[in-house]
Amino acid sequence: MAQPRVLVVGGGLAGLSAAMRLAELGSDVDLMSLVPVKRSHSVCAQGGINSVNALTRQQGDNEWKHLDDTIYGGDFLQHQPPVKEMADWGPRIIDLMDRLGVPFNRTPEGFRDQRRFGGTLYKRTAFAGATTGQQLLYALDEQVRRFEAQGKIRKFEFWDFLSPVLDDSGRCRGAVCQDMVSMQFRTFPADAVIIASGGCGLVYGRSTMSMVCTGSAVSRVYQAGAAYGNGEFIQVHPTAIPGADKLRLMSESARGEGGRVWVPRRPQDARDPRSIPEAERYYFLEERYPKYMNLVPRDIATREIFDVCTTEGLSVEKDRLCVYLDLTHLPREELDRKLHGILEIYEKFQGVDPRDVPMKIFPAVHYSMGGLWVDYQKSASGGLEEGSPRNQQTSVPGLYAIGECDYQYHGANRLGANSLLSCIFSGLFCAPGVIASAGSGKKTAADESQRLFTTALRREEERHEALLTRPGGGENPYQIHLELGELMTRVATVVRRNDQLAPAYEEACQLEERWRRCSLSDTGNWTNQNVVFTKSLGDMFPLAKLILKGALLRDECRGAHFKPDFEMPDIKATDPAAQLAEAELWCDRFEENTRRWLKSTIARHGTDGHPQISYEDIDTSLIPPRPRLYGLVGGETVEEVWKKRARKSAQDKGQEKGVTAGSERS
Amino acid sequence: MSTKHNGPATASTPPSTGAAGGEPAPHDSGDHLALPRTIDVRVLRQDAPGQESYWERHAVAWEPNMNVISVLQKIAAGARAQDGRQVAPVAWDCNCLEEVCGSCTMLINGRTRMACSALVDRLVEEHPDGIELRPMLKFPVVRDLVVDRRRLFRSLERVKAWVPVDGFYDHGAGPRISPEEQEDAYPLSTCMSCGCCLEACPQFTRIETVRRDGETEEAFEQRRTAAFDRGFIGAHAISQAVLFNGHPIGKLIADERMEAVTDQGGIQMCGNAQNCVAVCPKSIPLTRSIARAGRAATMWAIRKIFDR
Amino acid sequence: MTPNESSRSFFARNQFLIYRLFSLSGLIPVGAFLVVHLLTNASVLGGAASFQSRVDMIHGLGPLLVPVEWAFIFLPMLFHATVGFMIIGGGLPNVGSYPYVGNIRYTLQRATGMIAFAFIIWHVLQLHWMGEPLGGGRFDPHHATSSAAEVVAPLAISLLYAIGVLSTVFHFANGLWTQGITWGLWTSPQAMRRANYLSIAVGTLLAAAGLGAIGGLRGTDTAAARAVETRMDDQRRLLEGQPPSPLSGTPAPGRPVPGRDSGAEDAIDLRSGSDLVPLLIPEPAGAVAPTTGPAPLSGN
Ligand SMILES: Cc1cc2nc3c(=O)[nH]c(=O)nc-3n(C[C@H](O)[C@H](O)[C@H](O)COP(=O)(O)OP(=O)(O)OC[C@H]3O[C@@H](n4cnc5c(N)ncnc54)[C@H](O)[C@@H]3O)c2cc1C
Ligand code: SF4
Ligand code: SF4
Ligand code: FES
Repeated sequence: MAQPRVLVVGGGLAGLSAAMRLAELGSDVDLMSLVPVKRSHSVCAQGGINSVNALTRQQGDNEWKHLDDTIYGGDFLQHQPPVKEMADWGPRIIDLMDRLGVPFNRTPEGFRDQRRFGGTLYKRTAFAGATTGQQLLYALDEQVRRFEAQGKIRKFEFWDFLSPVLDDSGRCRGAVCQDMVSMQFRTFPADAVIIASGGCGLVYGRSTMSMVCTGSAVSRVYQAGAAYGNGEFIQVHPTAIPGADKLRLMSESARGEGGRVWVPRRPQDARDPRSIPEAERYYFLEERYPKYMNLVPRDIATREIFDVCTTEGLSVEKDRLCVYLDLTHLPREELDRKLHGILEIYEKFQGVDPRDVPMKIFPAVHYSMGGLWVDYQKSASGGLEEGSPRNQQTSVPGLYAIGECDYQYHGANRLGANSLLSCIFSGLFCAPGVIASAGSGKKTAADESQRLFTTALRREEERHEALLTRPGGGENPYQIHLELGELMTRVATVVRRNDQLAPAYEEACQLEERWRRCSLSDTGNWTNQNVVFTKSLGDMFPLAKLILKGALLRDECRGAHFKPDFEMPDIKATDPAAQLAEAELWCDRFEENTRRWLKSTIARHGTDGHPQISYEDIDTSLIPPRPRLYGLVGGETVEEVWKKRARKSAQDKGQEKGVTAGSERS
Repeated sequence: MSTKHNGPATASTPPSTGAAGGEPAPHDSGDHLALPRTIDVRVLRQDAPGQESYWERHAVAWEPNMNVISVLQKIAAGARAQDGRQVAPVAWDCNCLEEVCGSCTMLINGRTRMACSALVDRLVEEHPDGIELRPMLKFPVVRDLVVDRRRLFRSLERVKAWVPVDGFYDHGAGPRISPEEQEDAYPLSTCMSCGCCLEACPQFTRIETVRRDGETEEAFEQRRTAAFDRGFIGAHAISQAVLFNGHPIGKLIADERMEAVTDQGGIQMCGNAQNCVAVCPKSIPLTRSIARAGRAATMWAIRKIFDR
Repeated sequence: MTPNESSRSFFARNQFLIYRLFSLSGLIPVGAFLVVHLLTNASVLGGAASFQSRVDMIHGLGPLLVPVEWAFIFLPMLFHATVGFMIIGGGLPNVGSYPYVGNIRYTLQRATGMIAFAFIIWHVLQLHWMGEPLGGGRFDPHHATSSAAEVVAPLAISLLYAIGVLSTVFHFANGLWTQGITWGLWTSPQAMRRANYLSIAVGTLLAAAGLGAIGGLRGTDTAAARAVETRMDDQRRLLEGQPPSPLSGTPAPGRPVPGRDSGAEDAIDLRSGSDLVPLLIPEPAGAVAPTTGPAPLSGN
């Protein structure tokens, strides 16, 4: 067989690791990105990357526990075999990145240093200063450049992926793309196409994500028929610095080192925060959570900050929601010693010294757990079968998805430092399968494929022409984006209510209608960023709609999806017997909820432009679901009852072994 | 080649106080209220390579916490020049908006820097008569503030800025590295290829290759690369060569890197102006890298003479 | 990477070597010569005789002097200047936008290089060959102090010399510092700072020597100096078995020497030089002391 040719769309951690692995395995690779790959969004990751390591192992850690933490953190909403495989690969991936020259922080003896991140008891996180993502990305970028110098990889930077080309059997045969400098269209015949285009934060207007995180590539393959999973699961980070252009991440360590969160008791008190007396400050986290104080878990901090600003109207500023994160009571030297890096970020972008003035922060959209639905082939040991063409394949044969834009690894909520791992893992792991798939696809006759590509090319050219020739004086795309972002941020982030989501869906449809009428301020055909943006804006609507619809339909609380109307109640009884009875009821309700809702949301693009939602069972064959009881009043009693039930069901299971959900997948 | 470097078409006038008359006079005191309500932004535009460049003025409404990116976003959204004329939005590059991706380099008030970390209030404090934006001078303009920085990545290829590993199968961990070595290497590894150091370097001059009639894509690319390879590689690539020559495995091809670093356009072109280190947004110790590369080049050249 | 080696010019292929030779030539021999030259000149502060004896030493090379001058001074200097101009041509100074100290120094290095080059050409042509048409006069190695003093007598010429000397010294001292970076002698910021102090010290010393020489010459009593020189010249000729110079004792053409007949024997002390610091360099052994009579013949 001739060498397979693979098109990789996206040069973040996922796309680069796939490209270099494919090249190593002998495939020719076309690597495409909206920006030079070295400038991909992955550079933003600061914290680190998780894996079991020699040190944690000796403290009782193992891959299984990493799997368990990830599953538990994700509220059981992910298929377990891929996560198991990822956790198993973790140590190897860190070793590989180490060999590639990533300057991980070191212990005095020269080993890799590790830190502890949320959601685990072990110091699993390897890090390189405060720029782990950047360092990992550069190491991969360098290897890709090495292959590029050998002619094994061709880069297409400043190119926009427009649509996959499917043959009559529905198999992906390549893509149509556009050079964003010359605005020329071009077809890329390929034996397989991999989408590694990252998250879709721009659907929310401003987020902690980069400007190319529009989700456009994902939306385009979704519109071409690929299924999308768990769209409504969007992670919101509690503390970000609100900026006019972007919401920049403020690390949790600010609270860890003693930062206090507060708002003035008088709404929008205009006084200098330093002159507001203690009695007139509302330290709401400390008052509401006397045990955890400011160090409540991420999702709770997020919800409370959101709540105090929206429901109680106590935001520090009127036009812009924010609360104070105050470090000014701490000694300067201590701050400089412990928090220098992150305080510098605040200072750099706000022009204010947080050692003197309380910081203003607010939660921000941070990560999309959902993404393109992808398949996998389960192995006998409960992990994945390496080299299977099914791994990471979307519902369209020959079309793959990896990295943040797949839905596979993080369930309802992502653990810190797990995403970098999943990106590199999915990229490296999928390569042999992609090559196998590329070899297996029946070749189409030359004239047949000629027809396919010409049609696809013409379709994109027409779409482009139509945009350019819209009559002037119509809607302004930037204004529509602003409104979409505000809408999504208002209804589909921290707190979700059906009475808001239902009208919001209608509003999104109206915005989409308006988008159809928008006109361009640049109708030229050279480096026209206006038309590229307008196109990607149009492609945000299908995603926005599937997020809203998925959130509307999911009547429960799970991970990042919080609906107060469907919250599991606290145990209110005080009498032990009554408590036990209530706990039994609680567990019944939990089990019922699990039966009803422990399912991936699967969206398919309907011909009417609306998402068709269905649900997919989840492979929980490795770790049975259990309730997350963090902060629940009476949680101990519930745990007791739950454990009893779990033991019993384990005994039952022992008798009828063998059925695995994974094997039922198409 | 055709960029005109003349000043703004209109002589600098005090910033307009916006449509709403009766605003407090700007800059009468240091406090917030006294900041101008609109900012006068002058952009040096160019529609495409080889075309004339021209200045265009925009009045942008002031907001708290603005940076140059948000100014450009507003210009794009408004798409009107100060005189009310409908104009195409200004084109520019950006991505991370956190000063880690290296996209948004431009000349702001004459100085090369990252647009995302250029705060408007500070700029207005320094230059009360507004903000002047123009593309980098050392790279060919693609459009407006967008320039073609492929040469910069080509330089990384020239110096083989990578660790020559066997492959991506599991071979255990990398070499042990002391914290001192890590602390030495880490700053160099934060280089985001923004090109500020090259823009400010008086020894780094623009190379612009124009496609000839009838020339194939490949032939053109080859000719462009050859032209790049005759030019100065610049501080950023020298520093990367030093980074990888210091890595226990990276140094296995140190000789190949030295070959590149001392080839035409190599380290000898540096005139030690040290602008590079002064403008690097990541404060990378570039002069230390250059001196280290200089030392290595000295040793290497001597060795080469005797090994011949 | 370089597909066709032979298609590249000699210069392109050997750019690194040429630039390094350029850098080296600034120090050795050109820089070294500069140091010797300036210190020699400064010996004028120690009296006409001390300067004359140093000049005599140099001219003791006799017929070798010309090839030595060309091989170790003029050609290296021309090489340094040629490559230097190429470098200047390839650069794009931008102090306007980036007014940092390093950048100012970079720009000054180029400016002073060009000034120094023009100055040296003028200086050599004037003193060596052409003399008056270029202002001042010609240097007469047998009347080192007096002829040099006459050259710098006009204030304008002195000023030109001062500018030339300062430029050259800056170029040399600053070059010393950048050279250390180029060759990798000082790599850390601290080392560079210390090296910088060193180069400032060297520069200051040389500037003092250079300006001192100009000042010393301007303060010289030409007639007295000439008398000393004539006597030393006669001595030399005597040693070499030549008749006294027919020209000795005659004024330089076209320029009357005041006090020529005023009994030069008595005027050996340089009057106006009395407040000048005597030069640091010790008198070379056997140097002719300014005595009243011909020095006794020693040896043969
Ligand atoms: C501020 C911040 C901090 C974070 N910190 C951490 C952390 O500490 N640990 C952790 O594990 N995770 C962290 N994350 C998450 C993690 O950074 C991302 O999930 C991960 O980098 C995504 O990588 P990727 O390869 O999937 O995509 P990206 O890096 O987003 O790359 C996407 C690529 O696709 C290309 N692309 C997109 N659309 C198109 C198109 N239409 N045509 C062509 N190309 C296209 C882009 O140009 C780009 O090259 C953080 C995220 C943020 C926002
Ligand atoms: S060295 Fe500094 S200025 Fe130069 S490209 Fe790297 S980050 Fe930018
Ligand atoms: S030190 Fe060298 S590389 Fe840096 S600015 Fe100066 S000439 Fe350019
Ligand atoms: S946008 Fe990434 S550095 Fe400015």
